[in-house]
Amino acid sequence: MPSDVTEPKWSLRLPADCSIAAIRSVYDLIREAFGRQDRLEIDCSSVDKADVTSIQLLLSTARTGEAQGRPVVLTSFSQSLRNTLRRAGFASDAMIEQHFPQKKDGT
Amino acid sequence: MSAMDPTEVFRQEASELFEVLEGALLDLGQRPDDRELVDSAFRALHTIKGSGAMFGFDKVASFTHEFETAFDRVRKGEIKPTQELISVALAAKDYIRALIEDPQSTDDIIGEAILDDLKRFVFPDQPAAPVAEIAEAPPLAPSESKQTGWHLYLEFESHILRNGSNPLDLLEDLCKLGPCFVVPVTDGIPFLDEMEPEDCYLKWDVKLHAACDKDAIDDVFMFVQDEMKLTLSPLEQVEAPAPLPLFQLLDEEPTPVAEMAAQAVEVAAAPVAAQPPVKAEPKPEAKLESKSEPKPEAKRDDRGIATVRVQAERLDELMDRVGELVIAQARLTQLASSGSDLSIKMIAEEIERLASSLRDTTMGARMVPIGSLFGRFRRLVHDLSRDLSKPVEFVTTGEDTELDKTMIECLADPLVHLIRNAIDHGIEDTATRSANGKTEQGRIELAAVHSGAQVLVTVKDNGGGLNTARIRAKAEEQGLIASGAVLTDHEIHQFLFHPGFSTAQTISALSGRGVGMDVVKRTIETMRGTIDLSTRPGQGTTVTLRLPLTLAIIEGLLIRVGEGRYIIPLSAVEECVELTAEDERSRGRNFLNVRGNLVPFLRLREIMTASGAPDRHQKTIIISTGETRVGLVADQIIGNHQTVIKSLSKLHSDVTIFSGATILGDGTAALILDVAQLVAMAQSKVEKQHISEAA
Repeated sequence: MPSDVTEPKWSLRLPADCSIAAIRSVYDLIREAFGRQDRLEIDCSSVDKADVTSIQLLLSTARTGEAQGRPVVLTSFSQSLRNTLRRAGFASDAMIEQHFPQKKDGT
Repeated sequence: MSAMDPTEVFRQEASELFEVLEGALLDLGQRPDDRELVDSAFRALHTIKGSGAMFGFDKVASFTHEFETAFDRVRKGEIKPTQELISVALAAKDYIRALIEDPQSTDDIIGEAILDDLKRFVFPDQPAAPVAEIAEAPPLAPSESKQTGWHLYLEFESHILRNGSNPLDLLEDLCKLGPCFVVPVTDGIPFLDEMEPEDCYLKWDVKLHAACDKDAIDDVFMFVQDEMKLTLSPLEQVEAPAPLPLFQLLDEEPTPVAEMAAQAVEVAAAPVAAQPPVKAEPKPEAKLESKSEPKPEAKRDDRGIATVRVQAERLDELMDRVGELVIAQARLTQLASSGSDLSIKMIAEEIERLASSLRDTTMGARMVPIGSLFGRFRRLVHDLSRDLSKPVEFVTTGEDTELDKTMIECLADPLVHLIRNAIDHGIEDTATRSANGKTEQGRIELAAVHSGAQVLVTVKDNGGGLNTARIRAKAEEQGLIASGAVLTDHEIHQFLFHPGFSTAQTISALSGRGVGMDVVKRTIETMRGTIDLSTRPGQGTTVTLRLPLTLAIIEGLLIRVGEGRYIIPLSAVEECVELTAEDERSRGRNFLNVRGNLVPFLRLREIMTASGAPDRHQKTIIISTGETRVGLVADQIIGNHQTVIKSLSKLHSDVTIFSGATILGDGTAALILDVAQLVAMAQSKVEKQHISEAA
């Protein structure tokens, strides 16, 4: 995972509902953003419904960015998203940091 | 075609799950030791909870969770499902249903009261303790020296999330067994382009530090066992829990997973610090494959395409189209038969064959097992039995019998009336039953069976039977019969179907107002069915409903009366005979002799006020409803006709002898005779004749 991510130029704020009921549209949003910009910042502050699908989508986004050499940064994890991550076994900030590239200035 | 609203899909699925849940709960009342029933109820609850959360019904998910948690004690065999508990569980089910179907009508206070009741039965010793807290308390940790555990590897099928299952809930449930260390395995996460966002790619590696047996772990995954691969192996020696700082990093309130892990740290911190963990990686040969071994792919695929959910309106639309096709085909056949072109005749025959086959297939697609209807009455019987303090055994047979979906919908209310009557009036109270040498528990049987082109639905009770003398006295009192008139028991029982007729001494919430049986009869007749009663004093009553298979297209007998053409439903036709000169001479008495039996007949020419001279050889069509036979005299019998039933307009609503209309091959309309009304008309004529002769 990139630890020295350069400042992205384009930011995408995830919607409140990132659960399976709405994950298809979130997926489309992210893919569309990927198509537009080389560097992507994803703001997770508004997420209040998250589940396994949201986690997978963020993991896939990070993995895709890394593979394509297009930095992806996740910022401002909401409490709801953090709780879901912990329930899925991403039990510490260190572990979250390991799987999800974040800004160094805090999330 | 527009896609169905996902919320609506959830509502429909939940509706089916409620039926399963209710059925299982009611059966549990009879068979409290049946584990299958407990599992079935629990599965339904679990799916409602999962799907509810997925579709945004948060209140449903949270209430169901509480319900499920309380019911878990039943599942674990810690408490017996008593009748009281079943009643509260049914009330809880009703509340969840209301939360889904009509949330405005619900009140949190009611929900809390139901949960309180549930807790009272489930946790009799700890009435004040919240359900969730008690159920979620971790089991006592075994002593460190003897501590054992399990290593689990969880891999779910890709579609698992789509049907409402949530692996995170399962992980939480697993953590209730003891301290858990959950590590997500992210290797399977694909790149964005290859991803199906609703599929499950995450897997989990879990170390469970608890001396539970394998069954306890299987229990956690019992509802998804066919949709996952669970690899389970014993931990030879307890490993150290994850390092303490891992949990200290958490700045928020611990989630259950973290909570359990933190407790594990407290319990096992000392020995772990002194001794490095011994890695007990499972040996391949030691691995226990749980019963959740996935089934072969091919089999699953078959199941996937076995059924398709279709909106009912679309089936109605399809039936309408088929109806139009049948009418057009009839016109083509008529046109072809009037010409001499052989190839046109062949095509017309081919289309006739295809249209007939399409009609049968379409009607088949509309057929629904009557069991879906029967299930509803189990609750009715349960509640009435409790309210009236009359223990009743409810037995259903023939649930697989199929009937047109419209018929099923129309049949619900009449059956409610009949079953209520059977319990309220038919089944005696326990004291009377005991005094008469009967079992204290009454019995009501609801059965369905195919009989030719009809379905017979019977409601049978083993109560006291009809009181013929009282019915007769009431009929005389109401002036329905002359005092002392000679009537058979069967004829006397028919008064029960008379509007406003009731022999009940008192009016109760259930019955006694005389409204019901006449409505039942009218509804059944609207469905072109008949209703019949038979009773044996002291042994019970049987009500039999005879119903056609469908209301959309029927086989009819096309007849001509004067210039008009009419259809008689073929299912009601017994035979056709010629009106003999002897029968003709009986003019005024209107009876014909059919192999020694006198059968009343109606001259349709008179009823239809047909003009012109009658045909020289008049034909009589003998029709029957139940045990009553009547002859209808027509000018000509044209032949069989596939009849697409069209409703009559409101202008004709007061014309009782027709039940509908159809379009013939030449484009003209023909009216469909209402057999029940004609039989009633003939009977009334006979009665008048009797009275005038007696006078």
